[in-house]
Amino acid sequence: MFKKKKLMAVLVAVAMVSALFAVNGASANTYWQYWTDGIGYVNATNGQGGNYSVSWSNSGNFVIGKGWQYGAHNRVVNYNAGAWQPNGNAYLTLYGWTRNPLIEYYVVDSWGSYRPTGDYRGSVYSDGAWYDLYHSWRYNAPSIDGTQTFQQYWSVRQQKRPTGSNVSITFENHVNAWGAAGMPMGSSWSYQVLATEGYYSSGYSNVTVW
Amino acid sequence: MRRAGRLSSRRPSLFGSICSSKGGRIVSKKKTLVCAVFVLVAAAVAVGGCSSVQVSGAEQTDRTGGKLLSDQMVLVEGGTFKHKRSNYSGGEVAVQDFYIGKYEVTQKEWTAVMGSNPSKFRGDNLPVDSVSWYEAIEYCNRRSLMEGLEPYYNIDKSQADPDNKSEIDPLKWIVTINEGANGYRLPTELEWEYAASGGQKSKGYKYSGGNKPDDVSWNWRNAGNRYLKGGWSWQSIENNENRTRPVGRKKANELGLYDMSGNVREWCWDWYEDQMVESGMFRVVRGGGWLGDVHTLEIKFRGMFDASGVGPDQGFRVARNA
Repeated sequence: MFKKKKLMAVLVAVAMVSALFAVNGASANTYWQYWTDGIGYVNATNGQGGNYSVSWSNSGNFVIGKGWQYGAHNRVVNYNAGAWQPNGNAYLTLYGWTRNPLIEYYVVDSWGSYRPTGDYRGSVYSDGAWYDLYHSWRYNAPSIDGTQTFQQYWSVRQQKRPTGSNVSITFENHVNAWGAAGMPMGSSWSYQVLATEGYYSSGYSNVTVW
Repeated sequence: MRRAGRLSSRRPSLFGSICSSKGGRIVSKKKTLVCAVFVLVAAAVAVGGCSSVQVSGAEQTDRTGGKLLSDQMVLVEGGTFKHKRSNYSGGEVAVQDFYIGKYEVTQKEWTAVMGSNPSKFRGDNLPVDSVSWYEAIEYCNRRSLMEGLEPYYNIDKSQADPDNKSEIDPLKWIVTINEGANGYRLPTELEWEYAASGGQKSKGYKYSGGNKPDDVSWNWRNAGNRYLKGGWSWQSIENNENRTRPVGRKKANELGLYDMSGNVREWCWDWYEDQMVESGMFRVVRGGGWLGDVHTLEIKFRGMFDASGVGPDQGFRVARNA
């Protein structure tokens, strides 16, 4: 899509170095993403530090998570899903946005009844498992930049990740894999959260992010 | 989705009764002078009083030779950027004098020219929304013809624009300009930012007209049923029934321009281009709207959208050569 690949490679390299220092200096996972569409029962708790929990029953759509106001390509996101009990459609996912260009991205570690897919672009091995890479477009869709036609990047674990222990998402592996598959990130990073997203389902999750 | 209401009343235009020529297009020099004085007074009142009511119908001659000019167009004195933190600050970039709409194009104005209304949210004094860049270009030419002006654009729909590299634009009309024409046009990105920053009267605000977004803009936090807090979320915006609002209700900027930040994003003429995105992919949109995050409202924020794209937060305002 974008032909200035050499220039982009240089810029990405510069961004990577810059972001490295930014991440090392960043403190915490205190950015709280909370939304429900008001349908059904959703009870979320913004816990101390990086902890959150959510209990939902016959819900509509909701996204609740904890993370960082500004994402980074090389962040290692650690979390422990002490409880992950979806009944129906839900994702346990690293989620965020970049701008220039506008990209909405997901690294999905677990799900309920539906495993998300898209246009298959390859696979990457990261943190002990294979993830499938998917690309999709959203046309004239709402975004943090207003209505946009923008791309979605997905990394979806081939098998649901076991929960209940400390695990990591080495985001850089996914960023590099997306890049190799012709899916570069934007130059400006918006929020980045480890989230529980539910869609007309029930369940309970309790997650600590650091 | 609940629809926004109209202004409850429209005040009769004092200037309409004094300044407009009766059924004709030519205004005498004497009348022009009188009108100009009244327009200046009106502009001062509008800026100082933060009026929420649109005047309509008043016209004056422009500086291009006798053609009529609506009093809803503001003459922007050119020059270099006074704003210290714009994308053009500190450089040698100079802007020529030009006219720009005091308000975003309303649905009443759009419908009078185009005959139909594509907007998601309905109301005469709401800005028109859901218009593509191509439709905005067509509006400019049709309105020019209706008002006896020379169309600014040449539109060739018979072949695809070789400069258009978009993968998702099904139209790709070839649009070129008549540089000296006095008709309506989109502002260039340079003109838009210059006007949004207050031109020679700039006070260096972050948003057009102020440093607090809620003072000067309808944005994702304040454009719905209740004031939203926390992080940007489309779902919460939709659930809050966010929508466009009547033009001219927020504080004007230093030049008396309303809604340069917020309400609807505004198309500019230019292709978007930066270090990551090559020219020919997207057209520039500026000012942010009721939907995007607050950063899009900043004077310096450069937005982009495919030319054939439409959205309920996408509108425009017109400009003309001075």
